Amino acid sequence: MVDAAGSAPVQAQVARGTSLRSMLAATEIDLRLFGMLIALGAILLGFHIMSGGTFIQPANMVTLAVQASGVAIMATGMVLIIVSRNIDLSVGSIVGVCAMSYALLMTDWLPAVGIDLSNPFQWLIALGLGLALGAFIGGFQGFLIAYIGIPSFIVTLGGLLSLRGSVWLLSSGAAVSGLQPDFRKIGGGVSGSVGDIVTWALAALACLAIIGLIFYNRRQRQRFGFPLRPRWAEILLGVVGCGISIGVAAFANANYWPRGLATQYALEHGITEPPGGLQIPVGFPWPILLVLGVTVVMTFLATRRRFGRYVYAYGGNPDAAELAAINTRWTIMKTFILMGVLAAIAGAIGSARLNGSTLDVGQSDELYVIAAAVVGGTSFAGGIGTIPGAVLGAFVMQSLAYGLSYNGVNSPTQNVVAGIVLILAVAFDTFNRRRGGGS
Amino acid sequence: MRIPKLAAVMATCAIVLAACQPSASAEPSAGASAAAGGECIVGVSWNNFQQPRWAATDKPNMQETIEAGGGTFIDADANLDSVQQLTDVENLINQGANVLVMLAQDNQAILPALETAKDAGIPVIAYDRLIEDPDILYVTFDNIGVGRAEAEAMFERVPEGNYVLIKGDPGDPNASTFLPQGWDEAGLADKVASGEITIVADQFTDAWSTQTAQDNMEAIIDAANADGVQIDAVLAENDSTALGVVAALQAKNYDIVPVSGQDGDPANLQNVAAGLQYVDVWKNSNELGKVAGQAALDLCAGAAMADLAIPDGLIDSSVAPAAGLGVQDFETPNGTTVKSFILQPTPITADNLDLVIDGGWITQEELCANVTDSPPAACQ
Amino acid sequence: MTAEAKPKVLEMRNIRVAFGGVHAVDDVSIDLHEGEVVGLVGGNGAGKSTLMRALSGAHRADSGEIIIDGQPQAISNPRDAKALNIECIYQTLALADNVDAPANVFLGREMTTAWRTLDDGAMEDATRKVMGRLNPNFKRFTTPVKSLSGGQRQAVAIARAVYFNARILIMDEPTAALGPAETAQVHDLVRQLKNEGIGIFLISHDIHDVFDLSDRISVMYQGRLVDTVDKARVTADDVLAMIILGKKPEEASSEELAEIKI
Repeated sequence: MVDAAGSAPVQAQVARGTSLRSMLAATEIDLRLFGMLIALGAILLGFHIMSGGTFIQPANMVTLAVQASGVAIMATGMVLIIVSRNIDLSVGSIVGVCAMSYALLMTDWLPAVGIDLSNPFQWLIALGLGLALGAFIGGFQGFLIAYIGIPSFIVTLGGLLSLRGSVWLLSSGAAVSGLQPDFRKIGGGVSGSVGDIVTWALAALACLAIIGLIFYNRRQRQRFGFPLRPRWAEILLGVVGCGISIGVAAFANANYWPRGLATQYALEHGITEPPGGLQIPVGFPWPILLVLGVTVVMTFLATRRRFGRYVYAYGGNPDAAELAAINTRWTIMKTFILMGVLAAIAGAIGSARLNGSTLDVGQSDELYVIAAAVVGGTSFAGGIGTIPGAVLGAFVMQSLAYGLSYNGVNSPTQNVVAGIVLILAVAFDTFNRRRGGGS
Repeated sequence: MRIPKLAAVMATCAIVLAACQPSASAEPSAGASAAAGGECIVGVSWNNFQQPRWAATDKPNMQETIEAGGGTFIDADANLDSVQQLTDVENLINQGANVLVMLAQDNQAILPALETAKDAGIPVIAYDRLIEDPDILYVTFDNIGVGRAEAEAMFERVPEGNYVLIKGDPGDPNASTFLPQGWDEAGLADKVASGEITIVADQFTDAWSTQTAQDNMEAIIDAANADGVQIDAVLAENDSTALGVVAALQAKNYDIVPVSGQDGDPANLQNVAAGLQYVDVWKNSNELGKVAGQAALDLCAGAAMADLAIPDGLIDSSVAPAAGLGVQDFETPNGTTVKSFILQPTPITADNLDLVIDGGWITQEELCANVTDSPPAACQ
Repeated sequence: MTAEAKPKVLEMRNIRVAFGGVHAVDDVSIDLHEGEVVGLVGGNGAGKSTLMRALSGAHRADSGEIIIDGQPQAISNPRDAKALNIECIYQTLALADNVDAPANVFLGREMTTAWRTLDDGAMEDATRKVMGRLNPNFKRFTTPVKSLSGGQRQAVAIARAVYFNARILIMDEPTAALGPAETAQVHDLVRQLKNEGIGIFLISHDIHDVFDLSDRISVMYQGRLVDTVDKARVTADDVLAMIILGKKPEEASSEELAEIKI
């Protein structure tokens, strides 16, 4: 359509050239996200060199991803809270309460009402109750903040203290252990992963979804005569997107069962082991699938639903949102309910990994979650921040902790490095924003 | 306001003293100590009563011992606040305490409270935590001995091989100094020098956190796998970190290797019973409470600190100080010499789990809850 | 045809709004006809914005009646006002800076697809059409409005009102932050809307703007309505006298009038 071509952004015409910036502009991907991916790659490469070439391997990367999963999941919710000019300092304590609740439900309270470890649904019931608890705590705090008007800093600070204390009360100060094996799958490991077939299937699904989205986007633009992305850019996006999905799946499937387990499996199934041992791919661990699922759902909520639009609009100008007749109080309360549920999910992963719970599960998590959101581009001024960015931010932060541990660097140094990276990331972001004049 | 009350207490004691045998006390001050058979009020200043151990073991045993000896037990909790502890001590003195038992929240900040007690002529027992002062009685478990017991048990099981060291919070002298000192006394430094033991990794754990220990251990396992190194044993300083180590080994489906710990936490004892943790160094604080209670009664009765001794049969002989039942000299890190009762910790492995059951520390049902196959003796 | 000959679309009777003990709006009655511009003027604290906020639902009137097309209506919140086709362009514009023009135009009234997701394409399309009428040179439909110029932001705010078929439009200081070229644009716009039959309340402190655009002028002083006059029958000085003295010119003494001329 002449109109569309005539009003196409000037950038698209320059894109006929070969500058990287114009190429990126034509694909319309978020530059900041792209930059963070590069940074993550650089960090991993740095540790790889430091370790003498052993760091980047499937088994290690899977460990790193599982360790980051709890914080990554919570960071998606923290983005919406910070975007709407609030803060939630209590998430670490919600994780602690929920983790302890799962453990006590499965070892103590549910058996007391006749639902013990032999009941195949025990873990599901415990999980459901824990998620409900998280939602309730989030809703209670959200109510105080949105409807009573107490600042979120105060309410969630109170939550942080009182909930951590209640973990002690629940457990009388003791650690709890010994959970149902099905529940423990949520924590990853060999038994908590889906195997190669499901992994390939998920990769294929992701690839189809990416291609489908590209087509849908083009059709939407055609419907209204908007400027289209150049064909080559769309093909590039599709190829890269599919490539990444399949690559990640291949990487996860290159992670094999430990020798001892594989031998046992071979014996049990009457398979003769080939020389070098039976190689059974592990595939995606459940925590990673949870992170991916949560990221997709939260991104959908934030960008395609009115709820997300209202959260961002409120963050940009609370007054404007009120005058637009948006139910701002209910919107804010929902952000806190969501946060509570996400913390409960993180608590499930934590207690599954630990096969139980201790008093300090989730302690100080709120700091890492906020740091992940901020490193991922969320601004405390409100109105700005993306969910994929926060997830990436969580992986960046965890890659530092894991990489330093892997290379034998002690924990005080880990904290120093984490703090410096956080400041650098925000400084870089502020600098960019000043230069670019917003966006 | 203190002084009139003190005078009243002194007057009362003087009257009581007059009716009883005079004590051969060598106490320098105009002691407010009661004679044997007279009133003996023991004031205990906790630093953090919320920590479950004190309510579960130390207090009941201390109180029982004191009351069985005719004394009265009063206490106060500082809730982790050093300033509050100074107030607590003053209050205990005002309530007529003849002997004070102090669990110092901070061993520097406690000194003014110590002065107050000394001015009132009240003898002080430093319980579990050291107070740097020549006049106190230090009643505690041997922290260096705990480290020694951990390492001795581990070296017996795995005399040679690749070790991982998991330490606690880097700011805690127990983690950085005392426990590693015990490890070396048991022979770690020598074995490393001779090549029998190779240290694959050596990590501190912020705040003794179980999750952090698990994350660190997982990274260590990954690095070891990548380098083709087999981990043979893990020396973990305490139970909260040991729990994380065991979780990491399970998450990585690593062969279960011997892991050490201390404190006798129920979850860890369960792991010992289930074969997941090798040794847990148990400090039977029931006995510590008894020792402190009896010492308090003796001090009340006017005994000199140098003359104190643990009565035969009061505590289990395996827990009794290595040097004997009489009070011993102890040299503090600052070079002060104090009188002390230093009790021995008990290393618990699958073979002697009955000790924790018999000591009333944990029930057999709870201990054996996670045992599936090949139960230990105590669970059969 | 004079303004009064057109049908009356709005009547506000005896409106009172009090904050604490202060009467921000004290027994004010005012009305508006189709295709008419009523300039609302007065000094600081006169109560103009408060009166209009009572109409737009941003603040509820304590007493009085609002009658639209002859029917009394209750307006307690912005939703009520919008349902009655009353739109307000606030002095601050009430735009969310971090989202784009279509999002702002449809804020609170988004178009959704069959799956109840945001129909961004349709909203952008509708916005393009509306903006085409108001500001044909406007191109940046996908950038956050923060990066637009003052006049462009004004156009977005007006587009919001126009799209939703406002019959009663309140414009609070529309040209205060604009340069001459953009002010002229806004003036053209106001005349265009007037021709379409929209009744407009125009709050402005610029007398020339008011005289340029209004058919009638209502003057407020310390919460009360001083008078409502036909523009054709007064001079700027008369109006200024009413604004400053709070009295009709014929009621003011010659000394008072002399003072304000200095």
